[in-house]
Amino acid sequence: MKDTIICRCEEITLGDLEEIAKKHNSSAREIKLLSRAGMGFCGGRTCRPAIDKILTNITKENPSDALPLKVAPPVRPISLTDLGGFGKDDE
Amino acid sequence: MSAKNYEVAVIGGGIVGCSVAFYLAESGLDVILIEKNDIASGTSSRCDGNVSIVDKDPGFDSHMSWVSQELIEDLSKRLDRPFEYRKSGSILVCDNDDEMQAAVDWVKTQNEAGLKFNVLDRNDIKSESPFFADDIPGGLECETDSLINPYMFCYALVDKAESEYGLQVKTRAEVTNITKEGREFKIQTTNEDVRAQKIVNAAGVWAPFIGKMLDVDIPITPRKGHILVGSRQQPVMMRNVMEFGYLMNKFGRERIADKRTTEHGVALVLEPTESQNFLLGSSRQFVGYDPTIDIRVVETMARRALRFFPKMNDFKIIRAYTGFRPFTEDHLPIISEVKEVPGFYIAAGHEGDGISLATGTAKLMEEIINEKTETIIPKEPLSFDRFKKSEVYA
Repeated sequence: MKDTIICRCEEITLGDLEEIAKKHNSSAREIKLLSRAGMGFCGGRTCRPAIDKILTNITKENPSDALPLKVAPPVRPISLTDLGGFGKDDE
Repeated sequence: MSAKNYEVAVIGGGIVGCSVAFYLAESGLDVILIEKNDIASGTSSRCDGNVSIVDKDPGFDSHMSWVSQELIEDLSKRLDRPFEYRKSGSILVCDNDDEMQAAVDWVKTQNEAGLKFNVLDRNDIKSESPFFADDIPGGLECETDSLINPYMFCYALVDKAESEYGLQVKTRAEVTNITKEGREFKIQTTNEDVRAQKIVNAAGVWAPFIGKMLDVDIPITPRKGHILVGSRQQPVMMRNVMEFGYLMNKFGRERIADKRTTEHGVALVLEPTESQNFLLGSSRQFVGYDPTIDIRVVETMARRALRFFPKMNDFKIIRAYTGFRPFTEDHLPIISEVKEVPGFYIAAGHEGDGISLATGTAKLMEEIINEKTETIIPKEPLSFDRFKKSEVYA
């Protein structure tokens, strides 16, 4: 179980999360920030439910409290050019 | 029930509050750090990690940054937890020949103050990153600038101060009211009350709300900024880069830029992070405390990035976030006692310089509270009184 990959983008295993939690007695938010779980290319779109569940189990926190795995734009990775909005009116 | 009485309560668990709590606890005082959410959950995790002199006004501002850099370097050796400290210097790039001339003058002034600045020419800029536009006339570098991960730094400070200097930390404790009873403060929070002889208000952009509880009017305004996170694809460059126009925006000086760039206060900042991603900034707006991501501002920022890095057109942006800089009228923080309320101190109002100036701020606050006669930097330019004086002449 410990070697199960939870966050594919950042290659974080269940064991990594448990180890960080144990070492620093961290809040859910701190575990996320220290491990980078959910902070990779997919922005948590793949792993968020799993990470939420694991961190809630470890810390006994309410997941809605502090987990910064919130949904924010862009909803998926977008190139700098597309985001730059070239060709659009400047006003 | 009588709550425990601390010598100092620091309100605000951002980089300033964590640094202040660290130095106060280290000096032997009995200190508690009170934070309404979690450590580094406000501005200090919605920013970049520049510990820079490159963007500071020559003189007091740059001197204070230099002192802070020395303190961070010292802490990089003393703290147990790493905080992604990278001392690689940083650069400014110019958009046009006018800016280039201003940059040459800027280097001269900073050199005269003994700071390690160098002019960079067209070729120097190209060797910094293969993605830079060909028509960038040049720029400058500051050798001593460094990068840190701000939230890792906060954790490292708190961890060390808790385990070795007896710091108490209370998170998820929003301060709801403060009353003064004799010589001590009663601080009501959503997670038990705290009693303390002294209070340091390090609540950053929320410092005015704490001030109001003691009828102290603190002139700090939120200045919103956006940051985009770019995904690791190919290494962009090794060190932090800003455009010269960033200085113009920050200090409200005249700048050659299109209407939308000016309106959104957009200027390029690119920070390579330890994870190999990169952060792209920046915007500056006075729009209250609304944290919504404004897609039009994001577009303007992406455009501005492409002005300097046209070859990054297919780089992917994976996240965006906003934060609030605690702005003061004269771009300097308030690091001061409040004469009207003895025992009440302010360490806030760093605008975009909180990461750069946190350690210098904290050391000075420790010296003020411990009533030391000599301070690491002069305290007069940072006094709370300076705003009252300006009112008289207004």
